[in-house]
Amino acid sequence: MDWPTTALEVFSEEPLVVKNPKTWYHIHSYGGWGKFFQGLQQQKLLAARCTNPKCKEKRLWLPPRADCPDCWHAMEWVEAPQVGTIYTHSVVTYPGELFKLPPGTPLISVEIDGVCTKLMSWLKEGKPKFGMKIKAVFNAKRPTHTILDLAWVPA
Amino acid sequence: MIKFGPGNLRIPRFEKPVYVVAGGLTDFRKKHPEKNTSQLCTEALRMAVEENDLKVDPEQFRRMVNWVVYSQFADHFGDQLLAAAKIHDYLGFDPLGNIEVKTGGATGGSAVLAAAQAVASGYADCVPVVGWERMDEVTTKVGNSYIASAACKDFESELGWMYAAYYALMAQRYQYENNVPHETLARIAVKNRLYAYYSPFSQNPGKYTVEDVLKNEIVAHPLTFLECCVMSVGAAVLIVADEETAHKLTDKPVQLKAICGGSHTLRTADRRHMPILLLPNETEATYKDYFGKHRQDWPGFSSFLAARMAAYLAYHMAGIKDPVEDLDLLETHDAFTISDVQTYEDIGLRPYGRGREFIDSGEAYFEGKLPTNLSGGLIGTMHAVGATGIFQMVELLWQLQGKYDKFHGDPKMWTRYGKQKPADWKSLQAKNPKRGCAISHAGTGSHVTCAILEKP
Repeated sequence: MDWPTTALEVFSEEPLVVKNPKTWYHIHSYGGWGKFFQGLQQQKLLAARCTNPKCKEKRLWLPPRADCPDCWHAMEWVEAPQVGTIYTHSVVTYPGELFKLPPGTPLISVEIDGVCTKLMSWLKEGKPKFGMKIKAVFNAKRPTHTILDLAWVPA
Repeated sequence: MIKFGPGNLRIPRFEKPVYVVAGGLTDFRKKHPEKNTSQLCTEALRMAVEENDLKVDPEQFRRMVNWVVYSQFADHFGDQLLAAAKIHDYLGFDPLGNIEVKTGGATGGSAVLAAAQAVASGYADCVPVVGWERMDEVTTKVGNSYIASAACKDFESELGWMYAAYYALMAQRYQYENNVPHETLARIAVKNRLYAYYSPFSQNPGKYTVEDVLKNEIVAHPLTFLECCVMSVGAAVLIVADEETAHKLTDKPVQLKAICGGSHTLRTADRRHMPILLLPNETEATYKDYFGKHRQDWPGFSSFLAARMAAYLAYHMAGIKDPVEDLDLLETHDAFTISDVQTYEDIGLRPYGRGREFIDSGEAYFEGKLPTNLSGGLIGTMHAVGATGIFQMVELLWQLQGKYDKFHGDPKMWTRYGKQKPADWKSLQAKNPKRGCAISHAGTGSHVTCAILEKP
């Protein structure tokens, strides 16, 4: 038998440190949330509401949930309003690896009437301000199939 | 709305008293290429067993151990699944039972909680808790990406791939609601880096000014580099025991009066408004003017319900009526300056909206009313994540035992790590402290533990 031909690159001789290459991908299943991401391509903002008549909460969730956290009953899809206000905002100067947005992109959290959550997203145009009215825009042409397919612009 | 039922706020109790008897640390560095992870863990265990004035020799100690708890945040970083099995073997504890605990940044606190549960129930009576993180196998940028995969990867990780960004969104909202001068936040960074200056274990010590912090480069607006915790390699060990075993091991055991956990949604987005959960030192009147133009919800983005929950349970369990009055030392999870101010409010040092007063009053400083992060904290000394919550309790234990100088002031401790003890070193040993508190915190507040250590 021959010795293996694939060698690890030596990062440092003393002390000995080697590089372990990683080049594979993960198959990620969105499962019950898949419809939300597909909805973005149809310019729809799909939220979820509990269908249990006995549930006392019945909030509108966005990000959506497949099952109600208050009664564990199945949820149904409901289109959320496509306008909201900026609850908070920031710009990340030193993002981590995998960051796909242009440098200087404002990150925002969005309050939407009737929705019990404050969706994290990004502002595609304009300068963010607390309480600023914004509307949703969708990346339907060349979708990334991630949450980045949703963005907001001043309303 | 979160509505508590009668069982939800039950105060935990230990069936048997739980003690901590000894602690050990490595130094903390950005990179540790000359030592593998098992060596780091052995080094911390050796310090716990050999340098804490135990009344038994290491071999006798080994014969007393009956359960081990391991604490590592991310398999991503170590690139070794089931790493605890390997560490357990290298530490020579086979074939004893062990368990590995994982709750993000609060892993260390949760690991001590798991050990305490084992001792309190009678399952075990001598339990080493061993924590580490090896964050030097990838670049800082990839490291931040790994950490951000502990945010929701479906709906939030993509928006920054950087935890500082998620905290920055909270910070901005906190500032909108409470308008704390950036100078106050900067003083936390200055304080903790200065306390790290007196510690041979520290990674990023320094004598900085408020101006240095304010002028420093921004990571995610408004947080500067100097306001963010370090990314470390290192290990920490704490020995947990029942009362009888504790007295066999040491003349100076410290009781773990309480350690309790709380949680909240991984996504800050999903935090629904609810009534403020009141601590023993608060009443409804405390918050009669709290909500208004800028503050419409609680916990919102300004408060950590998990920290409030953990403190609520631990204070009731340990009989704490007023934390500033009843505690003598505090170690917070100062991952960012802003989250430290938020935590002051969550654990009742000041009512919500007034956290800055804890810094501005001078109470948080050495020789103040409640010195905080005399260890140097996460900003100055270390954040080798799986070791962090354990490190906090090791430093508290040494303070309560009066051993700060032994572990921080001996010039040999400095030369051991290739450092020289500063000529202007000063002792941060608190004067006869009786009770200390440690807050271990994960995510943007997904898990928090609150531990109360008390000198009998």
